[in-house]
Amino acid sequence: MAEQRESHLWKWLLCTPALLVLVLAASGPLFIVLAYSFLTPGTMGGVRWEFSTEGWFRVFLQRDIFDPDEVRWNQAHLTIFWRSISLSLQTTIICAVLGFPTAWFIATRPPHRRALWLFLITIPFWTNLLIRTFAIQELIRNNGTINTLLMRTGIIDSPIQMMFTDFAVLLGMAYVFMPLMVLPLYAAMDKLDFRLVEAGYDLYASRIKVLWYVILPLVKPGFIAGSILVFIPSIGAYVTPRVLGGGRTMMLGNLIALQFGQGRNWPLGAALAVVMLVIVVTTLVLYLRWANREGGQVRV
Amino acid sequence: MKDQTARDSVEIEITGLSKVFGQGAAAFSALSDIDLTIRTGEFFTLLGPSGCGKTTLLRVIAGFEQPSTGSLRINGREVAGKGPNARPVNTVFQNYALFPHMSVADNIGFGLKMLGKPRAEVAATTADMLRLVKMEEMAERKPAQISGGQQQRVALARALAPRPRVLLLDEPLSALDLKLRKEMQGELKRLQAETGITFIFVTHDQEEALTMSDRVAVMSAGRILQLGSPHEIYHAPRERFVADFIGDTNFMELPVARLEKGGAFVTLPGGSETRAELPEGLTPVIGEKVTVVIRPEQVQMAPPDAAEMTGTVESATFFGTDTHVHLRLSDGQGFILRRQNSARTEEPAPGAVMGLKLSPGALRVLRD
Ligand SMILES: Nc1ncnc2c1ncn2[C@@H]1O[C@H](COP(=O)(O)OP(=O)(O)O)[C@@H](O)[C@H]1O
Ligand SMILES: [Mg+2]
Repeated sequence: MAEQRESHLWKWLLCTPALLVLVLAASGPLFIVLAYSFLTPGTMGGVRWEFSTEGWFRVFLQRDIFDPDEVRWNQAHLTIFWRSISLSLQTTIICAVLGFPTAWFIATRPPHRRALWLFLITIPFWTNLLIRTFAIQELIRNNGTINTLLMRTGIIDSPIQMMFTDFAVLLGMAYVFMPLMVLPLYAAMDKLDFRLVEAGYDLYASRIKVLWYVILPLVKPGFIAGSILVFIPSIGAYVTPRVLGGGRTMMLGNLIALQFGQGRNWPLGAALAVVMLVIVVTTLVLYLRWANREGGQVRV
Repeated sequence: MKDQTARDSVEIEITGLSKVFGQGAAAFSALSDIDLTIRTGEFFTLLGPSGCGKTTLLRVIAGFEQPSTGSLRINGREVAGKGPNARPVNTVFQNYALFPHMSVADNIGFGLKMLGKPRAEVAATTADMLRLVKMEEMAERKPAQISGGQQQRVALARALAPRPRVLLLDEPLSALDLKLRKEMQGELKRLQAETGITFIFVTHDQEEALTMSDRVAVMSAGRILQLGSPHEIYHAPRERFVADFIGDTNFMELPVARLEKGGAFVTLPGGSETRAELPEGLTPVIGEKVTVVIRPEQVQMAPPDAAEMTGTVESATFFGTDTHVHLRLSDGQGFILRRQNSARTEEPAPGAVMGLKLSPGALRVLRD
């Protein structure tokens, strides 16, 4: 008994450095952000230490310029919230749909070849995000590679507008975050016992049925991990929507950056950041609840 | 249970089958020249050391591997090119391969569900199968929550539920401890008798093969060396490998003295001549040495003057029901004798000279 308690204490001691980093580096700034959201904007940015709920008010609502008593929903903000959630969900789905066959392909290569394929998948991570995003821009802008090729071959007469659309943002995000889906999926497939797949075939299941009844349930933890890893950075994405979406397809990350920058409204920016956190946490909890009810192996 | 006509009809017919893995310099022939006929309703065993191709042959029959050459007919129909899901054959995998995310009942019902049987029928058959393997209480458990022996039963039930014509079992008992293994051996025989399904059973355990099978095929290096009843395989091995692999055997290199119809007289160490059975089609040259075999239990101790040959005791190992006596014959060859024990028999002392008598007809010449 005493021995057990001692080893318990020892475990906590071993955790202390990690806990310290977590508290100082993660929770600390979070509390600062929360505090700022209840202060008054300074004229040159920053905050004045005066309590105010104006920041939170303006997250969802706005006053009429001429009649300050007339209060309306802040339509622009709501649109951005919705676009962020919607584009992030779509990115996650695209990554899952394209990532599955990719991970499957890698997992079914001979073991000595897999390292190479995994390396190829992770190569984009070695390059600066901005550069990768500009590479995509180069591909899809009006006089970029794709449009030039299509026009040269006479398939189209005038360039297809791809830049500054939701499509561009989706393409960029799916490309950038794909490895975050492929790697956990691959890890799950690597652990998959392929004899179970054979057992499925042996018991009269067609390929589709083996996929549905055997493979998908078994690699589900990989899907769950991958979805979380893709969804969270998607919600907060800044560079990709900035470069590929421009001002017209702004996402939450851009809106927050705007408030801390040109907008010079730090309390509003801080409140928006908290809203983003709430969206992420809520989605995660709902998702994991659903996944668990469906018999997943991740516990909250 | 099994009627004679069904027994005589052919379930699986394999002709000229071979399987080569890899290509070019890395090509490896896992199966060569397999000709095999398996009868409906029999308990057929593939026996051989690890790596001899048993699993490969089973996988070819199941449809997981396509043969490189040759034909494979199941119930008269050529199945080459058909996948495992299009063959009336189910497999009990070596590691059971139960679906970890499904309950015991769902595992058992899987095959029927995939065949598109109505829910009620799936449920009814699953219940029958649970009863057959005595797992009714565990129906809702996950495979991780039951013991190895129970997983084994579930794997059997799962493979039997769709009522295949042939059940393939790849070393299904090798992971079980001895007591459980004996129990499951009996269980398997009972299930086979009750269902009448043809069983093809793979093992590297010769005792298991001998006790369970109607017929045994002994394999080595991708070939079938001998096929026959356990009795034939044990008592009339045709090749050294078969004799050596199955049970303890004495090999002796002895010169041929004269020939007789179906037999040869060989000169034993010490000079006396005795008759050895010849395998079909083998005619040894008089005066040259041949390899003869005799099982240790077919040799009796005798007073030296009434003996056919003599040996010096080197060691004796007591096994309870019998004692294994290791001897050195007068010409220096080693020899083992197995003696039945009773309360009054004494353990032979090392160094003692012992007379030996061979059971008539027990000595056989081998094809090397
Ligand atoms: N997919 C494969 N590729 C290459 N060689 C294989 C493959 N499967 C089996 N073999 C080889 O074939 C031989 C027979 O294997 P196997 O049938 O598993 O033997 P057993 O079941 O009798 O132990 C072994 O030498 C094994 O290495
Ligand atoms: Mg094997």
